[in-house]
This record gives sequence, structure tokens and C-alpha cells, in this order.
Amino acid sequence: MTIHHHPDIATLMAFSAGTLDEVYTTVVATHLAMSEGGRETVKRIDAIGGALLATETEETLAAGSLDRLLSALDGDRIEVVPHDERGDLPLPLQSFLPRGLDGVRWKWTGPGVATADLGWSKSGHSRLMLLRVAAGRRVPEHGHGGQELTLILRGAYKDRFGVFAVGDIADHDEDVEHQPIAEPGEDCICLVAVDAKLTFRGRLMRALQPLFGL
Amino acid sequence: MYAVLMSDPESGQPRGIDIMDEPNDLLMRVAHSQDKFALAALFNLYGPRIKSMMLKLGASDALAEDLVQETFLTVWRKAALFSSQRGAASTWIFTIARNLRIDQLRRQSNKPYEDLSKIELASDAPTGSFLAEQHQVIDRVTIALGALSVEQQEVVRLSFIHDLPHAEIATRIGIPLGTVKSRLRLAYERLRPMLEDLQ
Repeated sequence: MTIHHHPDIATLMAFSAGTLDEVYTTVVATHLAMSEGGRETVKRIDAIGGALLATETEETLAAGSLDRLLSALDGDRIEVVPHDERGDLPLPLQSFLPRGLDGVRWKWTGPGVATADLGWSKSGHSRLMLLRVAAGRRVPEHGHGGQELTLILRGAYKDRFGVFAVGDIADHDEDVEHQPIAEPGEDCICLVAVDAKLTFRGRLMRALQPLFGL
Repeated sequence: MYAVLMSDPESGQPRGIDIMDEPNDLLMRVAHSQDKFALAALFNLYGPRIKSMMLKLGASDALAEDLVQETFLTVWRKAALFSSQRGAASTWIFTIARNLRIDQLRRQSNKPYEDLSKIELASDAPTGSFLAEQHQVIDRVTIALGALSVEQQEVVRLSFIHDLPHAEIATRIGIPLGTVKSRLRLAYERLRPMLEDLQ
């Protein structure tokens, strides 16, 4: 698959530093699972952490800490088994959707639009959801309450930034407004991380607010 | 620095440590021959720096010590994976410490970074190339980091070492979030030629 829309480099730097909020990390990791070029970029960015560690100031370790380490060593080796490609979902998403994309229980949220809740980050600051837009239908024009990451899992949509197809990611700040229209032929299914620091009554309302301007 | 190690009766490894050894060579020796001398040398080199990183999270001294121990136990157990990946030893050790930091703060309920390692192992991207040169790349990145503007260095360090999300960096320095991001983008552009040598 050829990826045309990549995350903002600042987003990838936060991913490499490990400081992105949980659900954003999940969306970026899912995108990277689909993008070899993206994984290469992150590998390069990781070297910034490596260089900073190499020149970090030194704090004296407790006496005996090396002995403690050496005596804790055992024969345990962690074997990481290469990922065996199966199913229709990238690995970082599989635990969220054990029954795959076709087993999702959708909630109708507007004409041609359905969503499914995949949970909140532990910080409570953001939420992960699936969004399904019927082929040829449009999502009402909306702004964002904060950073919004949208990864295309199936189908495609088009907005003023271009056509977004499977593997592409839209990385929008809060000041971006757009009106995506699903391309004809197939429903468009996206994985979305949205900021939820908005003061609305229910959590669902809060999450839908940035999408539908409720 | 290594005198104690050399006399360590426990290790039983015939080979001592030359202080000129490159970190990557040391890590390869841990990977291929379970060389405890090499692990100890890496511990002496990076342990105090990882402790410094962990203290900057606000960890207590005891917790920072524990996280250093955990980091090097993981280095020991996963060393075989290092040889199958490209990159420098310090980069690999940084990512291990980062993952422990994320676990410690219970910031993530799934394991996205591990998932990506598995995918990387399964991909047929070229592996193990130019490992010996990786440390020189790190030296060049270090020099380039030093040549960034003070403002750029500050946001890079607050992100990677102090573990602050961009929004918190903005609050701490008193600049808009968009400025934090643009400084990071500019820093990346400046570092890019050195980082691309990693290929």
C-alpha cells in the first residue's frame, strides 16, 4: 500500500519520546504498522533519544547496584516472535477489535454516519472511536476541540486536503475545519483519536461534539 | 572503572573489557555470547544516565534505581533482538527505558511499541547493516543537537528526556502549543541529514 498522507513530524517525535496520550499512541502505532516508510522515519527519530541518552548527565548509582544486577541475571531470554500476519487488522488494533472490522457493533449517529466507541485513554483526556461513513455521504463540516488523528482502515474519503485512502492519516490541529466526503463505492471506516477536554454533559456528547458540532 | 569487573569471579568470561570498545560491540557480545562483562560495561556507561532520566520524571531515588535495574535486565533478556535491528546501542537502550517509563506511569494499556517490533522482525527490510558505524552516527547527531538554537534544544530535551507532552512543554515555557510543534519540526529538519545516515 502506498501512503500519501503521513503524521506531522512533531506527532512522530512525541511518539518516539513516548509522550503521546494513550489513544493517539494507538492510532499512530496502527498507522506505522501499515507504513514501512513511517517506521523508517520513527527509527531515525529514535536516534535523537539515543544521542540525548549518550550525553545525559550522570547520577551516581547506589553502592552495589552492579552486583544487584549481575545476581539477578538468569537464563531468561525474551523471545519476540515475529508477527504472523492474519486477519484484516493491523496488530496494534487487534486487541480492541477481537472480532475484526466486520464484527463491530455500530451506533447510528446521523444520516449515513455510524460510530463505535473503543474506549478512553487512562488519562481521561482523549477517546478512541471508529467512524463509518456510507459511500458517497458527507460528514457535517466540523472543527476540532483539540488534536484529531484519523486513520483510514477501509475505503477512502476526500476533503480540501485531498483523497485519504487506506493507511493514510489525517493529523489535524484544533484550528482546522474540514468536511470529508466518503468516496463512492465502499463505506469509509476510520480509526479516530479525539481530544475530549470539552465540557459537555455526557461522554458521548463530548466525543461527538467535535465531529458534529453539537 | 572496569577493575572491579575484571576480578568478578561470578562471570567466568575469559574476555575483559577494553575501554575503547564501542557500545554496539558490547551489546553484540551480550547478544551472542551472554557476556556479563560486556553487560556490566554497558551498565556503567548508561546506568547513571538512565537514572538521571528517571529522576527527571519525579521518580524517587529508590524507584529510579529500580528502573535502571529493570532496564538492564531487559537489555540482557532481549539482547538477541538488537542484532536483528539497525541502530545504535544507545538508541536501543533509550527505547527500552522509554517503554519502562510508559509502563511505570501506566500510560498505555496495550503494547503498541512491542507490536511494532514484532512487525519489524517479520518484515524483510535489510537488517544488521553497518552496525559498527552506528555509534559514529550518534556522535554526529549529538554534535548537530548541540548546534541547534537554545530554544530548539530546550523543547527536544523536555520532550525526550523530561518526558513532557507537547501541551505541558507549552505551559512550562509559556509559549503556544503551535510554537512547541514548529520548534520541533525545525529541529528535525536540522538533524535530518545526520539521521538519514542511519539508513
